[in-house]
Amino acid sequence: MKNSKQRGNSLEAAYRIRHQEALTPIAEALCQHITEIFKGEPRIDRITTRAKDPESFLKKASTQVENRIKYSEPLSQIQDQIGARIITFYRSDVERLDAIVRRFFKPIEFRDRVPDSEWEFGYFGRHYVLILPSDVKSDSIDKNKIPEFFELQIKTLFQHAWSEADHDLGYKPGSIPLGPDEKRKLAYTSAQAWGADQIFDELFRARVPAGE
Amino acid sequence: MSVQHIHAFLIHPGKRSTERAQIVGTTVSLTGGMFDLLDGIYAKSDRECDVDITFSPTADGQQQNDCRDLVVAYLGHPDLPKGKKIAERLAAHTDGRSGLGLLFLIAGKVGREHKILLSRFPTDSAIYVDENPNALSVQFLERVFMKNKTSYKAVVYQHASLRGGFWSGRAIDKQLNTLSGEPSNYWISDFLLSDFTTTPAAGTRRLAIALRDAAKKAPLPIKQELTAAGTLAGGLAGQRLSINDFGSRLGLSQAAKNAIADELKSSQAVQEVFQFDVATYKSLVAYKSVELSNGALLTADTDKFDRVFQQEPVDGGEGEVRFVTKGKVVDEKLKTAR
Repeated sequence: MKNSKQRGNSLEAAYRIRHQEALTPIAEALCQHITEIFKGEPRIDRITTRAKDPESFLKKASTQVENRIKYSEPLSQIQDQIGARIITFYRSDVERLDAIVRRFFKPIEFRDRVPDSEWEFGYFGRHYVLILPSDVKSDSIDKNKIPEFFELQIKTLFQHAWSEADHDLGYKPGSIPLGPDEKRKLAYTSAQAWGADQIFDELFRARVPAGE
Repeated sequence: MSVQHIHAFLIHPGKRSTERAQIVGTTVSLTGGMFDLLDGIYAKSDRECDVDITFSPTADGQQQNDCRDLVVAYLGHPDLPKGKKIAERLAAHTDGRSGLGLLFLIAGKVGREHKILLSRFPTDSAIYVDENPNALSVQFLERVFMKNKTSYKAVVYQHASLRGGFWSGRAIDKQLNTLSGEPSNYWISDFLLSDFTTTPAAGTRRLAIALRDAAKKAPLPIKQELTAAGTLAGGLAGQRLSINDFGSRLGLSQAAKNAIADELKSSQAVQEVFQFDVATYKSLVAYKSVELSNGALLTADTDKFDRVFQQEPVDGGEGEVRFVTKGKVVDEKLKTAR
């Protein structure tokens, strides 16, 4: 029976190899694949992909819920080993791009990530867990190292800007936990970003004919 | 590759039925003739099941699927009560047109991985003949279950993780392209609550781009084969096929098939079944062009090219052809590049 340290070491070794030999080249191929599918679509600011870095993966793999390890089989259960993100201008664009995602990819999950309560502000974004298409799985990559899924996020510019700053300020390894007022400040900026998204979308829908 | 558990259930059609028949099941012995038959089917299932499918999320997008839950629960502890839940689900999605069926759940391990085959034999009637030197006796048999019928269905799942895996599998559904309608969908869509892993747009896009790019690079005879196939592809609207099937159905040579396959990133992509989507195809392979040795460049919509240009060989001309067309001039263009 492996103890938790041995488990952690063998998991780290396995993931580092997977990251280098499979996830990194697949993430590059996926970026190209998604870019080609969305080619010509208006108001896409950028499309990016990434292979989850080993430190983030190991941190997630060690997550505990009620004093028990959340992921007993992290290599199979953690579904964002490859992540993709599409940043677009307005909230209406998210719906337009959503239709294209569903035409070209098979989801096993899709949801809008929003704060738990209408009285709270924080992270907003549309998330999908999608089957990794064979278009990005080169025959030269060991099949056992290829994850089945990838995570796709579609966000507006304001949602993206807020989540990047929030992540930088609040989730850096070794950083001091945020205090109550600091959390309120982050919530305040999220509310402002949410408001800006609303106003921009209203302006967009008022000024741009439907269908464009 | 060892089979560890086999359970069998008789499935009466239960869809639209006011009274559901009681599902009766049994454990099948892991020795004897029946086992040999099922063990053979289990061993061959990786090859026979050729349609990649994936369980669908709930309508509101949650990562949960009722059928997957039953399959994973059964694999966690394969017994009759858990198998019966799967059988009940199949009965609830089987209508009178599909008739009586015999469901086998065959579970085992392949190395570290769990594997399960769900196999539904359709019922038929048959005549049993017994011959001896002095007499021949014939007997009518009902409830004969036959694997070689077109309505035979199966699906195989294999994964190391019961928690994170078992989202995708491979199915047999020989009725995918039949005109019988609903019964052909009940296995994948209704019972398995799944869909093709490759969406119509994704599969068609992959084929169209591979065909287009292969036609650009190939030597002239192969190029002509590929462009001819490209003009006929519109007739495949709504058909379920793989890129391999596309080549076979349009009678492409092995060289032409290889030229298409060479454009794909993975060899798996040629086998993946998808529903052909004409709109996606036309958006990517819109025009067919033919360039002649005299500098002429003829262009038309891909699916209309052979109708608007009649091609005939020129007598005595070494490989020369004459193209004939007729119509009113509606536009003229000077283009910067081909």
